[in-house]
Amino acid sequence: MIAQNNDTSGADRVLRKTTLAALSALAVLAGMAPSLVQGQGDTIKIGVPVPLSGSSANAGTDIVNGAKLAAAKINSAGGVLGKQIEIVPEDDACDAQTAVQAAQKLVDAGVVAVAGGYCSSAALPELTTFHRAGIPYVLDASTNPKLTEMGYDNVFRTIGRDDEQGPFAASFIKNSLHAKRAAVINDNTTYSKGLADNTVEALKKDGVDVVYDDAITPAQMDYSPTLTRVAALKPDVIYYTGYFSEAGLIVKEARQLGLKMTLMGGDATNDPTLMKTAGPAANDMIITTAPLAQFLSAAHGYVDDYMKAYGQGPGPYSVYEYDAVGITAKAIADAKSATPAAITAALHKISNYAGATGTIGFNPKGDRSVAVYITIIVRDGNFAPYQRQDASGHWMTMK
Amino acid sequence: MSTFFQFVIEGLTIGSFYALVALGYTMVYGIIRLINFAHGDLFMVGAFIGWTGLTALAAAHVPLALALMITLVASMAVTGALGLAIERVAYQPLLRAPRLSILITALGVSLALENGVLLLYGAGFNTYPHVLSHAGFDVDGVQITFAQIGIIVASFALMIALYFFVYRTFVGTAMRALAIDQDAARLMGIDVERLIQLTFFLGSALAAVAGVMEGLYYTQINFFMGFVLGLRAFTAAVLGGIGNIPGAMAGGILIGLLEAFGAGYVSSRWTDVFVFGVLIAVLVIKPTGLFGERVVERM
Repeated sequence: MIAQNNDTSGADRVLRKTTLAALSALAVLAGMAPSLVQGQGDTIKIGVPVPLSGSSANAGTDIVNGAKLAAAKINSAGGVLGKQIEIVPEDDACDAQTAVQAAQKLVDAGVVAVAGGYCSSAALPELTTFHRAGIPYVLDASTNPKLTEMGYDNVFRTIGRDDEQGPFAASFIKNSLHAKRAAVINDNTTYSKGLADNTVEALKKDGVDVVYDDAITPAQMDYSPTLTRVAALKPDVIYYTGYFSEAGLIVKEARQLGLKMTLMGGDATNDPTLMKTAGPAANDMIITTAPLAQFLSAAHGYVDDYMKAYGQGPGPYSVYEYDAVGITAKAIADAKSATPAAITAALHKISNYAGATGTIGFNPKGDRSVAVYITIIVRDGNFAPYQRQDASGHWMTMK
Repeated sequence: MSTFFQFVIEGLTIGSFYALVALGYTMVYGIIRLINFAHGDLFMVGAFIGWTGLTALAAAHVPLALALMITLVASMAVTGALGLAIERVAYQPLLRAPRLSILITALGVSLALENGVLLLYGAGFNTYPHVLSHAGFDVDGVQITFAQIGIIVASFALMIALYFFVYRTFVGTAMRALAIDQDAARLMGIDVERLIQLTFFLGSALAAVAGVMEGLYYTQINFFMGFVLGLRAFTAAVLGGIGNIPGAMAGGILIGLLEAFGAGYVSSRWTDVFVFGVLIAVLVIKPTGLFGERVVERM
């Protein structure tokens, strides 16, 4: 525990050299040429707590890859304050208890900031640990509203939160679809009910008639009776806020019943199983979601770099991690100091960081001030970008 | 009025699946007084075997009608054999043990089947190829698809065939004799063990038909699907009078209609409350169910 930072034991040096070797190999792969040697033994450490084991391990690995890509890019341009950025990944296993240990390990390793997180249930205990240690935590993928409602000043996020999707969906229903009557169906889980409630509230405020607002029982097969009932109320659009498996059945059964209205889903319906279940019936379904990197014009360079470095697509969240690391480095440069308190203060002041996911700034709670959501549409069995809002709230078609 | 008849069609479709699976519960209970909680999972296994067969045959470019026939027969045979094997391994040694031991074993078999499929096929959803057309017709505002008619007709045909087998054939008569008094049946020269095996085979094969039809109609299957459907089919069997074959058919259809009308006129979120409320009500008010008469005379 004592002075691990300056420990010059053989094992530690070997470990550090391995890390550096891995980093340089990565940077070379990415087509960049960083001069890592100068930063040896004197790096700025950014912690990345994500699940690296268990069922969410893939997502965690994508996120670490995104972080390393961001660090490699910054380091190749000379680093920050003349020092190199070092990414320190730690496995939180998407589990609250493991997460506490992972966070403590990162604190002990001497990280000055943390950028990461995947499962909200693990991010929450991590946040508490980092708050006690006074270290800023920039979340890249955890969307639970609670994280920024704890009253902590050291939390930020580069992704939207669950309760922002509802007003977004409502605006789309009113201003893009021009729907007068809407039906909202949820599956009674916390996430789904929350999204449905937020949407209904926003729809009512926007003057859209909510003709149906009720839950289904998940894990059934036949939702035709519910759809028959909803159809009799003649909505212009049905918005389902549950998960993709039921969404696939609902879409298929709605079209089987000959229903013609627009069908929409929340971001948990964003999964190819939807199309596999519903087949051609899924076509023209519209989904509200945080954008994949592929659908963001500013992120095209990132997608290419990622493909080059890792030989596969960047996954749904790694681009938000890329921005989380980038904005943390920007804060260190702005603060002209790599102490946690100075970085936190600088993060609060950033208002227009040009990231791969668009312009990023934080509101006083630490949430991204303009959250990015887009709509995507199913065309010929694939997801395609559909519409997004411009800065003034107008709906425009995406390329 | 058209929505009323729409709910009837939907309820009949849903109920057909429950009825086919309820038959397996009721036959096994009639013969050895076992509530075979693994039966819902045999339905799931049938769906997975059907999926494996159909995707393999589709990849080999076998004509669709032929592929469907082979898949259905193969799924019935394999699931039936699995039901038989389960009876041999897990239930037969316990036939003379206290009733509770065999009930707990059935729960264990259920978990083993679910987790076995989970390991073999993964936790995600598998999807059947889209072979059933969505085509149908409109009768005064009521949408009926040919697929729905096919499911309802197929399950009624199977149920009637089973009814004739049990009530009009020599083997069926022996099965009913067995249900009334096992020792007396043995004294009459009936091969009790063989008949128990036949019962398990028939019940499992019917569950496999339901599984494959569910896969074809709803396209989405996963390792947990037998749990939800199994409990509802069990309720259907109790409603009809467990051990009674026409009772299981009627119970299945009634639970399907209850689900459709409940979701249609009240809310889908209350489905479980309605269905299991019926289970409790039947057990408290009329434990013999709608068709069950004297407790000794089952099937």
